[in-house]
Amino acid sequence: MKLDSDEPELPHRLDLRLTQESAEDLYEQAPCGYCSCLPDGTLVKLNQTLLAWLGYAREEVVARRTLQHLLTIGGALHFEMHGMPLLLLQGYVRELSYQLRRKDGTSLPVLLNADLVRDWDGSPLVLRIMLVDITDRRQYELELRRTKNLAEQQREQLAQANTALQTSNEQLRRANVDLDSFIYSASHDLRLPITNIEGLVQLLREQLAEDPGLTRELQPVLAMMQESVERFKRTIEYLSDVTKLQKEHAPPTTDVPLWPVVEDVRQDLEPLIAATGATLEVDVASCPTVPFSTKYLRSVVYNLLSNALKFRHPDRAPRVQIRCRSEAANVVLEVQDNGLGIKEAHHAELFIMFRRLHNHVEGSGIGLFMVKRSVENQGGKVEVRSTPGVGSTFTVYFPR
Amino acid sequence: MVFVHGFGCDQQMWRLVAPAFEAEYRVVLLDLVGAGNSDLTAYAPARYSTLAAHAEDVREVLEALDAHEVIFVGHSVSAMIGVLAAAQEPTRFSRLILVGPSPHYLNEAGYPGGFELGDIEELLEAMDSNYLGWSAAFAPVVMDTPDQPALTAELTNSFCRTDPAIARHFARVTFLGDNRADLPGVRTPALILQSARDLIAPLAVGAYVHHQLAGSKLVVLNTSGHCPHVSAPEATVAAMRGYLQETHPLPV
Repeated sequence: MKLDSDEPELPHRLDLRLTQESAEDLYEQAPCGYCSCLPDGTLVKLNQTLLAWLGYAREEVVARRTLQHLLTIGGALHFEMHGMPLLLLQGYVRELSYQLRRKDGTSLPVLLNADLVRDWDGSPLVLRIMLVDITDRRQYELELRRTKNLAEQQREQLAQANTALQTSNEQLRRANVDLDSFIYSASHDLRLPITNIEGLVQLLREQLAEDPGLTRELQPVLAMMQESVERFKRTIEYLSDVTKLQKEHAPPTTDVPLWPVVEDVRQDLEPLIAATGATLEVDVASCPTVPFSTKYLRSVVYNLLSNALKFRHPDRAPRVQIRCRSEAANVVLEVQDNGLGIKEAHHAELFIMFRRLHNHVEGSGIGLFMVKRSVENQGGKVEVRSTPGVGSTFTVYFPR
Repeated sequence: MVFVHGFGCDQQMWRLVAPAFEAEYRVVLLDLVGAGNSDLTAYAPARYSTLAAHAEDVREVLEALDAHEVIFVGHSVSAMIGVLAAAQEPTRFSRLILVGPSPHYLNEAGYPGGFELGDIEELLEAMDSNYLGWSAAFAPVVMDTPDQPALTAELTNSFCRTDPAIARHFARVTFLGDNRADLPGVRTPALILQSARDLIAPLAVGAYVHHQLAGSKLVVLNTSGHCPHVSAPEATVAAMRGYLQETHPLPV
């Protein structure tokens, strides 16, 4: 036939041979396997297609073998335990998936449909069975099952990992709560004895006043005692600041104007700025406000700025840049100095309560802890980049 | 008289046999945990890793029903569950009727269980391939049995349906277990109903069980297949009735 021909095609003529199609030929050469069995499975009739699939001659199987023989042993077990009772109870089975065993030992995946024909008295007479070759579909099914099993395994592993995570999360949460309550009771319980000690030092001082000679002699010791008491009280104050911060887990946020806060802090630190000859470069025009609580924003700016001055490099005057930028999700505040810098290995320790990396500088070890805690309480974060001997940059992300 | 179904189906397997005894006995049918209409969530694989847990379940049911002088009828794996229950609590059971019992399916030296490990693996594979048959509900069925209209209503609940994961686990427990050592401890009189041509529990295995169970009687039914109570219910009922009559004749 010429597809590009302009000639009109002749209508199909009915092929008269089609009328020769017989039921017998259709049965024998059907594109599926047919067989009939006695109720015990004994084969009594098979079509040519099935015989060709199996590689048996008709006389090798008829009355000599059962349907179960044609299946793998596992398949036969399944048919006996599930297929056969179903056939007897409901009269048919559909789409049972088995492997046919060929004479040469190879196998052929098939779907089995069967009907039970009963005798006039209701007793089982014959099983009519149809088998469909599903070689390709079977490959596909195996692949599906393989990936399904894989997915299930991974799901189980994930679930286990998730459970483990939840457990350690819960442990961490409890440890945090314990720590918080410890800090609270420590700051509370230490207050009374230190007040007592301070009173006793005062009493001692008054009693010694009656003996000027002894007073002079002990004056340095008394002064040191008083100094220690003061230091102790300050530490307790810091601790109670921390507990306040913890109680206010998420203090209300407002849009806090940034520039006035920076200016306020700058004035507070003016003596230190003057003494160190520091230059301050403030560029916060791109984010007039920061979504935070006023009190803690001041604390953040104060701590970062005072650190930048305190940890200055001995060879040069401090130069501190305070800048900010607006991102989609955050307002970002950066404080950059040209100070001592911090070794990478110490970055993680920076934010730990009472951890101090430099002893030569006055400090409580609580500033950066407070910064991190207050920022994280609001869902933000603090990052540090630093090069020893060159300087540090602290970046604070305030989420919108 | 309590009927317990075998692997691969549920209590509906007894529908052609159990009614024959309802006039003379209090008939109890149950689904093992994990099968039929049992609470599938109660199937804890760790607990049901041996048949003993199923035997305990059966005894619990019987105790709750305050049943004594129990005639236990068990098919296939449940024949062994009955053996275990009778060993655990001999006083509760008067007789055991074991249909196609097998204490161990694998061939061992001197024991023709009938199967190799690879065959059982094939069975598990066949079960996986027939996942839908095990799990999904069959569509409501219209059966061509006008003389048995009760069938239709029950069929809509679907036959032999179970959870594929449970079926797989139960298959392992059933076909890889070994309860041969439990047989000699049983003193309860037992009838072994053996199909003459049974692929799953061959004649040799029935003979073995008969030999190991003191005071047992072996009756070979001239039937094929593993489920004579479904394929030849009349012969099964007759054999059971005959045994019950001769061991404990009912007053006429």
